[in-house]
Amino acid sequence: MLSMAFGNLFKRKVRTLLTVTGVVVGTCAIVVMMSLGIGIKQSMEDMMKNMGDLTVITIRNNSQSPDAVALDDKMLKKMKKMEHVVTLTPVFNMDSSAISIQSKKYKYQGMIYGVYLDTLKDFGYKTVNGELPAAGADKTTVLFGKDAEYDFMDSHKSSNNTIYPQPDKNGKMPEPYVHPMKDKFQVTVNPPENSTAIVKPVKLRCIGTLSEEGGKDPYPSHSIFMDVNFAKELQEKYNKLNNVKKTAKKAGYESASVKVDSVANVPKVEETIKDLGFTTYSMESIRKPMEEQMRTIQMILGGLGGISLFVAALGITNTMIMSIYERTREIGIMKVLGCIVRNIRTMFLIESGAIGFMGGVIGLVQSYAISLFINMVYATNSDHGGGGMMMDAAAGAAAKISIIPLWLALGALLFSTMIGLLSGFYPANRAVKISALTAIKQE
Amino acid sequence: MSLICLKDIRKVYHVDKEKIVALGRISFSIEQGEICCVLGTSGSGKSTLLNIMAGLEKPSKGSITIDGMNVTDYSEKQWALFRQKYIGFVFQSYNLLPTLTAVENVAVPLMFKGIKKKERTKSAVHMLKMVRLGNRLMHKPTQMSGGQQQRVGIARAFVARPRIVFADEPTGNLDSKTSREVMELMVAMAKKYKETLIIVTHDTEIAKYADRIITIHDGSVQNDERNESILKSPENLEEKIV
Repeated sequence: MLSMAFGNLFKRKVRTLLTVTGVVVGTCAIVVMMSLGIGIKQSMEDMMKNMGDLTVITIRNNSQSPDAVALDDKMLKKMKKMEHVVTLTPVFNMDSSAISIQSKKYKYQGMIYGVYLDTLKDFGYKTVNGELPAAGADKTTVLFGKDAEYDFMDSHKSSNNTIYPQPDKNGKMPEPYVHPMKDKFQVTVNPPENSTAIVKPVKLRCIGTLSEEGGKDPYPSHSIFMDVNFAKELQEKYNKLNNVKKTAKKAGYESASVKVDSVANVPKVEETIKDLGFTTYSMESIRKPMEEQMRTIQMILGGLGGISLFVAALGITNTMIMSIYERTREIGIMKVLGCIVRNIRTMFLIESGAIGFMGGVIGLVQSYAISLFINMVYATNSDHGGGGMMMDAAAGAAAKISIIPLWLALGALLFSTMIGLLSGFYPANRAVKISALTAIKQE
Repeated sequence: MSLICLKDIRKVYHVDKEKIVALGRISFSIEQGEICCVLGTSGSGKSTLLNIMAGLEKPSKGSITIDGMNVTDYSEKQWALFRQKYIGFVFQSYNLLPTLTAVENVAVPLMFKGIKKKERTKSAVHMLKMVRLGNRLMHKPTQMSGGQQQRVGIARAFVARPRIVFADEPTGNLDSKTSREVMELMVAMAKKYKETLIIVTHDTEIAKYADRIITIHDGSVQNDERNESILKSPENLEEKIV
């Protein structure tokens, strides 16, 4: 039966080939379109991962009104107890004019953040050198951001007094003025200008430098992280020295970061925090519309592919119907010779299924080729700076825009074979109904 | 008991409210091993009779018994299975499957019976050698002459060793010399395997090969007579087939 079916297909080479080509184009279209969809989604996801941690909510307390809720330690303690919250930390943005961090004649110019240092590990910060602080570390412990060592200025020079973290021609980074892990650092509260007051410096202990990876907020690049209580202490000293009056609003932190146990719980936690009267911000608010957009794009692409496969299915049906007209007599003979109905149906289904399957296989091979080609073109294009910033970011994350996962490949094969079988079903049933008598009478 | 037993067979066609009686009350029996010719002009109802005996058409009335089984109300599937076992066919227009080679064509009835490829090819080759087509095994029908095609048809009809072989105008498309060859071959095969051969024809020359001639006219049996076959001695027959 099998050999007969294939014999029939082989006999009508051109027509079989054309029908198969139809399926090839259909399969190809659907696979390439879907692979594009998957690829774009993948690079979007990678890009978002680079942009920030998806499970972190940033809280801002921008309210100017004096009776607004304060984002203070008490509030944070309350939030910490909320469901799904792994850890949290205030982000205290130190006024850089209030203190100076120095190592010998070199003066620090970058950002200073006050955080709960022991939570950094849970937030997923990593170190290049040294280690992250454990709970109960000394209050003078600090961590340097990756490029913070380049933010020291030679205070004895009035010009050309900084080293920029840019690699030279050989790709080697210049030597910074200070070495966080070796040199000694101290912090001084700045007295008012023209004041003669002498402020005793406090020694700092740097235990590590943070790596830049994984898009964190606050971003550990040109920044130094210190214990938030110590930072507040320094700020208070400065306020006292400079007679700065505290406003009611200043009672709490301006910002805090909350780590949630999973992406799925981010909206829930975010909602709860919003209900407390704070402004929140998380990657979720970007991710969600993006994901919806992606889904739409994928559906459109898949739909386009689906249309061509549908056309291919019509092609198969047409071919099989034509084939039945041609072979009416043949079918009649087979019936007269004692072929039972089931066998005839099986033969036609094998034929149409084979067309679908062959089309699927060839289409898949072609899809891989096309996918490779698209990725190549895309890679060269993005090297030349083509595409917007988003695209560049995506390209940086994954140089592939067309991805054919195994499930798509197998699915496509199965699908095209199914299409073949389905479109062969009607013709096969027609063939079965042909009367043996009229069939053999036909010349 | 007779192999085929027709009782009061009647067949009426309805064409545009008009009743056309193709067969009116036909009854006869055919014995095992008989070579029987159903003779009649076109429109006499002889083809209808053959179709009814082979299960391709249902009679309007009456009953058919073959080998003791009442097959009158068999379903299409039952008939298909029945034909696999009992019936072989030789057609006027050969009706070989165009995509298959001679061997494959002969093997088709065995394939439907579910016999393994190796075995059925062996039987098919054997049959083709018997009809003197040993040198045409791998030819497609289009590459053979009418006589050769009909011999493939005969090989196919006999390959499954059916009890009955129906031949519908087997020489209708052949010249007289080839017709003779084909008829001799067919009768010799039937005799050799002691099979029942039923030939339907309008040609009185062909009828001469039969043991019995049933003449049909206007849907009823006009004449039913014994015939002294022109191929008398079985020894002579053996020479016809290899």
